[in-house]
This record gives sequence, structure tokens and C-alpha cells, in this order.
Amino acid sequence: MGTASVQLFPEFLTETFGLPGVLGEIVAALVAAAIVGNIVLAFTGVAGPWAKRKITAAFTDRIAVDRVGPFGLLIIPASAVQLLAKELIVPEGVDRPTWDLAPTVLPASALLGFAVIPMGRLGPVNFQLADPEVGLALVFAFASIASVSLVMAGYASNNKYSMLGGLRAVAQNLAYEIPLIVTAMSVVIFAGTLQMSEIVAAQSAVLFSVAGVEVPSWFVFVNPFAFVLFLTANMAEIGRNPFDIPEAPTEIVAGYQTEYSSAYFVLFYLGEFVHIFLGGAILAVTFLGGASGPGPESIGFLWFVVKIWGFFLFTQWARSALPRVRIDQLIEIGWKGMLVLSFANLVLTAVIVGVIA
Amino acid sequence: MSLEAPDTPETDAAVEPTPDELAALLGDLVVDRDDHLNAPGFVIRPDTVQETLSTLKTEAGYDHLSLVSAQEYENRYESIYHLKKFDDPTQEVSIVVPADKDDPVSESADAVFRTADWHEREAYDLIGIEYDDHPDLRRILLPETWQGHPLSMSYDQERPQIATLPEHANPLQDHHRDAESDTMFLNIGPHHPATHGVLHLKTVLDGEQVVDVEPDIGYLHRCEEQMAQSGTYRHQIMPYPDRWDYISAGLLNEWAYARAAEDLADIEVPEYAQVIRTMGAEMCRIAAHMLALATFALDVNGDFTATFMYAINDRERVQDLLEDLTGQRLMFNYFRLGGVVWDLPEPREEFFSKTRDFLDQLPGSVEEYHNLVTSNEIFQMRTVDTGILPPEVAKSYGATGPVARGSGVDYDLRRDDPYGYYDELDWDVVTEDGCDNYSRLLVRMQEVEESAKIIGQCVDLLEDWPEDERTIQANVPRTLRPDDDAEIYRAVEAAKGELGIYMRSDGTDKPARFKIRSPCFSNLQTLPEMANGEYIPDVIAALGSLDIVLGEVDR
Amino acid sequence: MIGLMKSMATTMKHALDGNTFTVKYPEEAPDVSPRFRGVHKFSQERCIWCRQCENVCPNDTIQIVQDDQRNGEQYNLHIGQCIYCRLCEEVCPVDAILLTQNFEFTADTKDDFVYNKEQLKNVPWYKGIDPLESRNPDRGAWIGEGDGELDYQ
Repeated sequence: MGTASVQLFPEFLTETFGLPGVLGEIVAALVAAAIVGNIVLAFTGVAGPWAKRKITAAFTDRIAVDRVGPFGLLIIPASAVQLLAKELIVPEGVDRPTWDLAPTVLPASALLGFAVIPMGRLGPVNFQLADPEVGLALVFAFASIASVSLVMAGYASNNKYSMLGGLRAVAQNLAYEIPLIVTAMSVVIFAGTLQMSEIVAAQSAVLFSVAGVEVPSWFVFVNPFAFVLFLTANMAEIGRNPFDIPEAPTEIVAGYQTEYSSAYFVLFYLGEFVHIFLGGAILAVTFLGGASGPGPESIGFLWFVVKIWGFFLFTQWARSALPRVRIDQLIEIGWKGMLVLSFANLVLTAVIVGVIA
Repeated sequence: MSLEAPDTPETDAAVEPTPDELAALLGDLVVDRDDHLNAPGFVIRPDTVQETLSTLKTEAGYDHLSLVSAQEYENRYESIYHLKKFDDPTQEVSIVVPADKDDPVSESADAVFRTADWHEREAYDLIGIEYDDHPDLRRILLPETWQGHPLSMSYDQERPQIATLPEHANPLQDHHRDAESDTMFLNIGPHHPATHGVLHLKTVLDGEQVVDVEPDIGYLHRCEEQMAQSGTYRHQIMPYPDRWDYISAGLLNEWAYARAAEDLADIEVPEYAQVIRTMGAEMCRIAAHMLALATFALDVNGDFTATFMYAINDRERVQDLLEDLTGQRLMFNYFRLGGVVWDLPEPREEFFSKTRDFLDQLPGSVEEYHNLVTSNEIFQMRTVDTGILPPEVAKSYGATGPVARGSGVDYDLRRDDPYGYYDELDWDVVTEDGCDNYSRLLVRMQEVEESAKIIGQCVDLLEDWPEDERTIQANVPRTLRPDDDAEIYRAVEAAKGELGIYMRSDGTDKPARFKIRSPCFSNLQTLPEMANGEYIPDVIAALGSLDIVLGEVDR
Repeated sequence: MIGLMKSMATTMKHALDGNTFTVKYPEEAPDVSPRFRGVHKFSQERCIWCRQCENVCPNDTIQIVQDDQRNGEQYNLHIGQCIYCRLCEEVCPVDAILLTQNFEFTADTKDDFVYNKEQLKNVPWYKGIDPLESRNPDRGAWIGEGDGELDYQ
């Protein structure tokens, strides 16, 4: 299946609105990117002030936001206004351009990653901006720019807590990126390509039928072991319990975020959530069959949304129950445990693919 | 463990030496006798402190320096070392060390008992006695630039003071320590999410490893001792003990004061009141341990842990019971000298059924905590084998309560020095041998179950108590004036350890000296022992497992 | 891994059973127990100006001003400074001052919390409950209401 059958979002816009030539393509691309970015940011806006609090409250037997607006949904604009209205305190001695740029890099890197994720179709629209042949590698490359941002924040803040947080973040990201990518390589072995839409397409064949229900060959069913590994490595990449060490509030106050207030804090907070959704999106595409689900293909986008929100729910669930590991234990698990397991997983995948194919 | 005193290998610990035997042991170190209401007292010369204490420790077995109190008289200063034995705390001896009025110097006991380090710093800080041979004699509760000694007689209480911190002497000064060193100095606290209050830890880090941690306390110092010294025994002091360990362990603190004052003025508490006191105190212990568990989970798990909220919910249920009983949820003011202020709330059956409902759902909750916390592998990775406190070190530092019992030291004042109704009930003392953070947590969780047992038995007793024998308070005069120059030291097993009160009366209705032996103060002193060489997260976990309350550390 | 699974199962169970421990205050006001110690209420009719409450108060919260004929002029109680220990109620021989169950009081500055005897008289009962009955069930036996005439017991 080539790219001809998968129409990308910008092309859809040029066709529908009849935008001519190269200029039209550029305009369409920008508009498409803006739409996709806004969708992602809308998810983040709902997730941050509202869904996170509701979910945490459910786990802790409380009633959470329910005063402002129906179901408390107006807390989202209220939070935005409140956070942005705070005073932006610039500490003396921070390394100025670096300190200001760090909060922008974090959400930017995640949003960039969304450019190549095939998010499925909603009616005639296919929410995928670009489909390069090295899509998977590109996504990982974008996502790992986040560690640059954490180091920038940690170092430029001129604060010992921030520096500790920044160093921990680097150590953690380095330790877990390799198992992450090696596990993703096993997906590539299965799908035979790095192109994101192809990976989704490779999971659409039927694996087996049980009791009349057709189980598609989503990679999670083909190799659950790889799924667990990837999930763990992903949690470590995005800095979530049990691996939220860079930002461990009870140990190093707020880690790399300590010196940020108001708009910069909003950007960090937002950036973290966009990364969670990006992690969920990568997980959905590589293991959960992307936008596929029961029902017609034209509502695939909704299934995609369900999957990334499911991942978000999972991170909140883990956060409420699991302690965080210590940094040296984390590094140990990363380099000694996960790396070995991910290489073993490669071998396992080769065997499985050989058996199936 | 049963209720009988534990069998000790040394036979001489079981038999208390008579004062004359002790005098004979100390020989010519003893200058005079000054017996207190709780123990024989030996006056010695100020330069023989170490010799006396080490003789008593090694040859007579008095290995627990319970308290160092200092006070000023008209003609002299005085430090008192209260010694007990870990194996049998009813055997006590006091060593009284007078010091010259114009130049109060006496020898430090730090070489013999490590717990004297901070206690003597406090005596120097508040009273003004200087201790020779002390490793680090600085102020501990007050800022270093404070002028004067507040509890001494020559201190002008009306004159306000502005104390500058030494670091603020020159704000523009470059305050980097040695630029070539590999270590980093980090201030953990006083504003920090995990320091259980306003505690300042001066930490020196080598990467992520702690090279040295030094607790800097005194941010919550309210001079409770002086406040108690300006209140009458009968009524006015009783609201204050609630505010030492303010995390709902108020009744345990009040019992410390009530026990000491009742023994000082020779008041006997009716049995019915003793049972109610026991029940209320154990409810407070459950509430305090629940909070310890909650905050420890918070320190190890991170901010969004559900364990914290579940433990707070349980604590809320206990507080509802306590509210029915005493009228308040945190600052109870329920005990009075001679008994308690109110009988159980009417209708009694309702109170009993509420209590029994709570006790019935408690095992389910504890099971949940075991699922969430103690059997969680990551939690075990974090807490097992971190924060090691060997039992001998714990004893030398005077650590008591769950901190000592988590290191295997079998010391519980409810069993060994019984008061209340504890010796008539059937319960066990919990010890664990792990010496690490995990075993301290396990001790607390199991103590909650033991407390539930005690409460259940008390409820059964109270239900069947004959109606005309329900005296809640002994007949105590409205103004209480104990004999002049009577001194006493009594301790109870508070939620955090041995909470003791030393009082001296001078014939008026207010105490002349009121010294609080706070368990958290002595427990916190062990933090450097636990934390040096470990990582920052382990220091935070160790601090959480010590379960300090700054109100009690700083008083 | 099993321990981790158990932890996560425990929290999920709490999430799914839908019970909440908290209530929506102030729509659902909680019941406080009858002995709860809230703001004070002062009755000038009963007060005999013996000053026992002022004497026993641990932190000098009650300030009484009398003129030279020992008539009571002012009775001031700083409800912000008060530690709610209830010793004043305990020593009062005539139940002139008692602590209601009311915990809902606000002011704009700390000084507004100094209540004089008018304000103390007007403190509302919480949910209309007079707590005196619950604290000493037979107090009513010797405090008579009277009809304006003297009522000897």
C-alpha cells in the first residue's frame, strides 16, 4: 500500500479549498498544522486542569472540580487566566536567553512529533500532516529534544535544586531512550518499514478469530512482552511515576521547574502533558494499531483519541499507586535490566515474525 | 512479647540497686544527696560528670540518658542528668551537677551518651550553662546571634530583640565555599515540601550522595516551657501539651503532664478515669501513626499518592470519635489533674457502637495499606536497607518509640513503667529487627493494630462498668500548691517515643521549672547517623520514617 | 511485580466504587458532635462578674473592665486569640459564657475578632442547637428560667 491511498491533511485542504500552486500548499500545510496543534493543545487543556484532578479525586475518594461551570469544565479557562495572571518572577543570575527558551522547547518538541502521527480519519479528513519514510525515527528524534529543554531549564536557573533535577532528567532520558528505540525496532521488524502509516496498515490484518471476534494483528497481541517493555520505557521517557525523578516534588522541590512561574510554568506544565499524549500516540501507532477499532474507518480518529486518553489514564493510575524509584536504581534498571530485555525482545520478535510470516 | 518485664541476661538489671549501693559505687564522686520524688539524686562536682556517668553506665547498667534539664536558682545553676535503664525504666537515678552562679561551667556528657549533645546545647541556649568538652556548643533553638538566655533569671522578658542571621551580615558577600571542592552545599528546607514542618537541613552533597547532614531546628520554638511556667498547675497548663505533638496525639501529651503533676501533688486517679484515659490515648496513637504512614507514603511515592488520602480518611474517622468524646479534633484539653473532664458522651451505646464500627473496619484498612505500601516492590526497594540505625547507636542517642523499636530495642513505657490501665489489658509490644526505614514503618502499622486491641478491651470494660462507680475525676482542690522544692521526672509513651516532663515546684501554684523531654528532639539527632553516605531520596525517606513533629522538637 | 499489581488494583477499586469521603460543603453541612467547642456566647443576665473566667484563661483572651462599684462595664473576648480550651466555661459558676458549636465566623481584620459583650450575646447557635444540655445533662436542674420574678430552687 503506497502513500497514494492515504491522503494527507494538507493535500485534503488544497483539494477542498482549491488552493493553487506552491503557495497554496504552504498555506494549506500551515493551516493543517495549526488545526492539528490546536487539537492536541485542546486535549492538553482538558487533561491538565480538569481531567487530572477528576481522575486523582476518583482514586482518592474525593469530589474534585465541580463548582465552576457544568461538571467543573469552566475550570479550564479559569486555570488559564489564573496561571497567566501570576507574576513572572525572573530570578537574578539566571542565564537569560536559555532560561527563557527552555519552556518553549518542551511543548514545541512534542508538538513537532505530532506532525507525523497518523491520527486516523474523521469523515473525509485524515489527520496526518506528513508521512515521511523515516516517520518513526523522526518522532523519536523530536521527542528526545525534550531532554535538551530540561537541561536548559536545570542549568540556566542558577538553582541547586534545578540543577539536580536537570542532571537527573538527562540521566534518566539517556538510560531509557535506548531500550525504547530498540523495542521500537522490534516493531519495525514486524512491520518492515519505518513509515508510520505503513506500520498502522501492517497491523490491520486479522491475527486470529476467537468466538467470532476477529482479533486484529495489533502488535500488542503479537508480542505482549514488547508492549510491556515499551510502556515502561515510555513512562520513563516522559517522566511519570514511577520514574518522575527529575521533578520529584518531595525531594528536590520542583526539580528543573523550580524557578519558573506564570507563563513559563504553564508552558512546562502543558509541555509535560503534550509529551504524555505524544507518548500515548506513539504507543497507539506502534502497538495498538493506530486509529483502527471496531466500526468504519471513517471514525478512526475517535478510536485514536480513546487510545491516547487511555494511556493518560494509565499514567495517572500509576501515579496514584506506585512509589518512585531512586535515581541509582533507575539507572540500574535502565542499563542493566531494560537494555538486556529489549535486546532479548528483538530476538523474540524475529522468531515470532518468522513463525507468522 | 508478653507483659512481663523481659528477661535480661545481666542479673543485676533485675534487682534495683539501693541508693546506698549506688553511693558506694560512686564513692567520693558524690558530694551530697538531693533526692527527687522519682529517683535518688547524687550531687557531684561539675568536673566529674563524665566519670560519674560512665561508671553508672558501664557498672550499674544505666544506659538511657533520659533527660538533661538545667535551671537557675538564686545561688547557683544546676544541670540534672536523669538516667534510666532501657531494660527496666523504673530504675532511675538523677545526677545533679551544680555550677557556679557567675561562671556556670560544667563538663559535658557527650563522650558517654551521644544524646547529651543536643540536650546540652539546649541547656546552654536557654539557661546559659557552658559545657566543657562539648563537640559543638552553639545555640540550637534560638538564632545564633540571639543575645541572652531566656530561661535564666537575669533575662529581661519585656525587651524585644531583632536577631540577624549570620548569613545576613553582609548580603552582598560572595558566599561560595571552597570553589575547588567536589561537594555541593544544599539547604533542604525550611520551606520544602517534605520536611514535616519547618526544619532546615544543611546538607553537603557529593553528587547525589549525602556527605553530611546537619539538622537546624528552632523555627517553631515558642518556649512552651516558659509558657507552662507561667500557668497554674490546676487548669492553665493543660491546654499546652496538646500543642507539642500537634498531630492529634494531644491526649498522649496531656497524659505526660497529668502523670507528672499527679505524682508531684500525690493525686490518685480513679480507675474509671484511667480506662477512659487509656482508650482516648490509644485513639490518639492510631491517629498519629496514620499520619506518619500518610506522610511517609507522600515522601516516597510523590505528591499524588492515594495512600496519603486513605490514611487521612482513617484518621478522620478516629478524629470523629475523639470529637464526640472530647469536643475537639486536635487540641483536646480533655484530661484534668485527677481524671478527665467529661464522662463518655450520652447515649453511651451510640458511642460504643461507633467505636466498634471503626474497629471493625480498621483491619480492612490496614490490609489495604499492606497492599499499597509494604508489599509493593518499588517501595521495598526504596526503604529496605536505607536509613540504618543500629540498636546500640539508637540507645546512645536516646532514641525511643517506634524508631528504637524498629531497631530491635525492646523499650515501651506502657509495659515497662506502667501507668493508666495498660498493665491490666492484654496487648503486645511490637519490635522489628530490620533497623531500616521499612521496619520502622512496619512497627507503626502493627502498633495501630495493637492500639485497636486495647481500645476494644477498654470499650468492653466501660460498657460493663457499674453505674455508681463511674467517678471521672478525683477530688482536687481548685488551687494546687505542691510542696516547696519538690522535683519529679515522669515519662509516658507518646506517639513518637518517650515524652517526659521534669517539674520543680517552689510552693506556689505555678511550676518553677518545667522541662519537656521531647522524643522527636532525641530522635532527630539520629538523622546524621542514618543519612550519611546515602542518597538524597534516602535522607528524605529517613526523615519521614523518624516521624518528627516540629512542634515537639522545638517546643 | 505482583506487589505493584496489588497496589494498582487497590487504587482502581477505590476509583470505581464511586464513594466519596468528602461532602459538598456548604450545601451539605457536616454534623458536629454536641461537645464541639466553637465560638463563645455570653449572657449578661447570668453573669455575676466574678472574673473567674478571666483568671483561668491561659492566654489572657478575656478582658473584663469594671467600674469602681464593681459593676461590669465591658466583657471583651478576642475570638481570634482564644485557643478554645473551654476552661472559662468550666469554671463559670452560672453558665454565663459557653462555647457554642458555631465554627463559621469571619472578619476582615484581626482586630474585628475582639468581640464585646453585645457581639458575644448575638453569636448564633450552630443549626439552632444549644449545646449546654449535652455537656452537663442536669444543669437545667439548678438554673431556673423564671418569669421575671426571683426563682428560688
